[in-house]
Amino acid sequence: MTYNIMTCGVGGQGLMLVSNILGLACAEYGLNIRTAETHGLAQRSGSIYTHIRIGERVFSPLIPYGEANVLLGMEAIEALRYIEYLKPNGSIILNNYIWYPVQSTFERVKNPETEYVSTEKILKQLQKVTDKIHVINALELAKQAGHPLTSNVVLLGALARSENFPVSVEQISKIIPRVVPEKAIDANLKALTLGFKVG
Amino acid sequence: MISDVISEEKTKAFLFCNEAIVRAALESDVKVVAFYPGSPVSEILDTFFQISDKFDIKMEVATNEKVALEIVAGASMGGQRSLTALKSVGLNVASDTFFSLGYTGINKGCVLVFADDPYCHSSQSEEDGRFFAENSYIPMLEPTDPVEAKEMVKKAFVLSEEFKTLVLIRTTTRINHQSTVVPLEPLDRTEFTPSSFRAFNKKYATVGSKARELKSKMLERRDRIKNAFEDSRFNNITEGELDHGIIVSGVSYNYVKEVCSRLEINPPILKLGTTYPLPTLLISNFIENLSGVIIVEELSPYLELRVKALAKDTNPDIKIYGKESGHFSEAFEYNIPIVFKAFQEIFQIDTKTDYNAILKKRNELKTFLPVRIPVFCPGCPHRVTFWALNRALAGKSNKIAFINDIGCYSMLLLNKDIYNKMNADDLLLAMGATLGTGSGISLAAEEKVISVIGDSTFFHAGLPGMVNICNNDEDVIVVVLDNSVTAMTGQQANPGTGYGPSGVPKHKIIIEDVLKGIGFENIVITDCFDAKSSIPAFKNALEKRGPSIIISRGPCALWNDRNKRKRGEQIQPYYVDNSICRKCHTCMRDFYCPAISMEAESSQYIDLNNKSWQGYSSHISNELCDGCGVCSIICPYTNHKQRSENDVIKPYKQQREVRHDL
Repeated sequence: MTYNIMTCGVGGQGLMLVSNILGLACAEYGLNIRTAETHGLAQRSGSIYTHIRIGERVFSPLIPYGEANVLLGMEAIEALRYIEYLKPNGSIILNNYIWYPVQSTFERVKNPETEYVSTEKILKQLQKVTDKIHVINALELAKQAGHPLTSNVVLLGALARSENFPVSVEQISKIIPRVVPEKAIDANLKALTLGFKVG
Repeated sequence: MISDVISEEKTKAFLFCNEAIVRAALESDVKVVAFYPGSPVSEILDTFFQISDKFDIKMEVATNEKVALEIVAGASMGGQRSLTALKSVGLNVASDTFFSLGYTGINKGCVLVFADDPYCHSSQSEEDGRFFAENSYIPMLEPTDPVEAKEMVKKAFVLSEEFKTLVLIRTTTRINHQSTVVPLEPLDRTEFTPSSFRAFNKKYATVGSKARELKSKMLERRDRIKNAFEDSRFNNITEGELDHGIIVSGVSYNYVKEVCSRLEINPPILKLGTTYPLPTLLISNFIENLSGVIIVEELSPYLELRVKALAKDTNPDIKIYGKESGHFSEAFEYNIPIVFKAFQEIFQIDTKTDYNAILKKRNELKTFLPVRIPVFCPGCPHRVTFWALNRALAGKSNKIAFINDIGCYSMLLLNKDIYNKMNADDLLLAMGATLGTGSGISLAAEEKVISVIGDSTFFHAGLPGMVNICNNDEDVIVVVLDNSVTAMTGQQANPGTGYGPSGVPKHKIIIEDVLKGIGFENIVITDCFDAKSSIPAFKNALEKRGPSIIISRGPCALWNDRNKRKRGEQIQPYYVDNSICRKCHTCMRDFYCPAISMEAESSQYIDLNNKSWQGYSSHISNELCDGCGVCSIICPYTNHKQRSENDVIKPYKQQREVRHDL
């Protein structure tokens, strides 16, 4: 069985940490994993994604269209941008957050009556592909966990709740202390638990 | 992660391919490494940068790829194992020395990793560097994934010493930017002891009659390597039952394997790992009894044309499917859907799976989706420099020729509508080309030329162009965007940064001193974050004839943030007081910082004279603002020199922690 996870967001949201934690967990617990990441342009605010594939028969680093079991959108616009990867009726973990692209502001300056894209409008489109959408207020939970920058780990917790997810939340929690700064371990573990509860 | 790359205990680890390459070099007891950063191989440099002192490895971040290759070639000739890594276009820069190395060979194991970038993820062209191997007679190995990349780098050191030649590892972006679980072997490092260059008594000089002599030896070496490659474990055949076979290399091998299992077909597959010199006997034997063969390789038909040539003697009737048959493209990357469609057609298989239909249907959901093209980060010095230049150009936009170059500032061309006075998408070729092309335009055309170049590019390929401009008294304005680091590839140190691997101080090269030394007289240095102060400098330069230099100085925001975090400093964000914002939109219209957006709700401000402003205020995201404060300088209703409560844009009451992922 191959399990495909498409994750996406905006540069600076901490997407790499999610695939890194899953990779380390897979290495630790004997699973085959392959990820394809966006690197290269070092600047913030670009559209970024990571393909994560777990399973014995995984060779391609890229998920084919329509085969991701789950799509993790750390930002709503980006979730829709990579929707072609999701299985019909696959599940979506959607962060209730929009990072307006500068280009949209550019359009609004030219004509202030044009509107930014809303989460609602994006949800409507996503619902045409699946009804399994979990909208999560990651920032709120991250603040509850003790640090607003743990949104990514909140979402990882929610991801771990997905049906047939190959890595357990306990396994993930054992990896976290290895990859986050010491003073941030508690907040990240709490973020993981909070995310798992709502996932 | 770094701790796994250097682990003495682990037998396997989840590694990024570029980390696996570093691990392979460590296991091979590499002693000297040198690089110029370039995506997709920058992380090889970055990883060594953090660990070189732990292993007593001599490391240099070189001025450019040619110098880096010369350093590792020299180190090998001097008696130490060495490695460099560069991107496709980096090999163009290094190519002069590279071709000579084909003739002279080297001494101790010397490995060059080069990465092509199909789809131009982060390059100006989609080159197929495999032709460099053939043209230089230098052997080349091509991995299919990080595990094989690691094995090949280790083998490359051995081959290099056996045949006394540089050995190439050719990757592509999808190989480099892939992570998986990689087996680790013992590090077995030996202590660094200086060798003696003269003791080896070898000659590395090539010219004229010497070169003619070396050419025959090089051809003979090529044949010996080819014979060795006939039995290489990097070439393998998967037996099959169909009369059509597949020849494949690189990342495409993974797509082929998955597509065959999806289509439930079992063709014989020849996976090639030694792609120069090619194992021609192995290939001929493979195609001898087939009625058809499909060649799957990204970019040019490199394997395809050679298989065709071999088939002429071995099996002239064989059908050959690939790029020339129209089943595959020479452009961009492959993936499972592309290989699936081609195989479905060639093997004539009916299947319900239609990846293109999925893509088309899902794309219909996105019609209103805004683009998110790369932009300058919040706090980026380039945004400020170009804001000032755009201001200085008011009314002059048709009388200038703006020439761009390679670096973060290249992104201007994607944002040309925003910086509309510059026509920033007019011209951009290659590292340092802004100077030569600028000179050419100044000779040919009436427009005043403005050439921009970053600090790292200035050192990399800008010096010859600068000397030329000064020597010929060209009518060119050169704007040096000095942000202290090689920002685009991950803020690596360059000659102007002042430190090297593991943070060890280095002789810092001062750009203005270099330019004065060349002989430039009109050099103005501006603090770009004092935004308005640059405008007169640009205006003056536009009025002058002859060369003018403006060094616009200000640190890269990401690098600066990382330094702040190290020093325990915080970020002072700004906010828009929207109870008094005049909704003039200057900060948004002229500055386009990702931290600034427009409020969703319209609001009103009425001043003491009953003058009223109705509209949408701007909004600064507290979490995105980097605290450069430039928006408060350009806001017409803020007095940044004497701040008060009456200002529209003000420092926020609380400072904010610098992100920990930097």
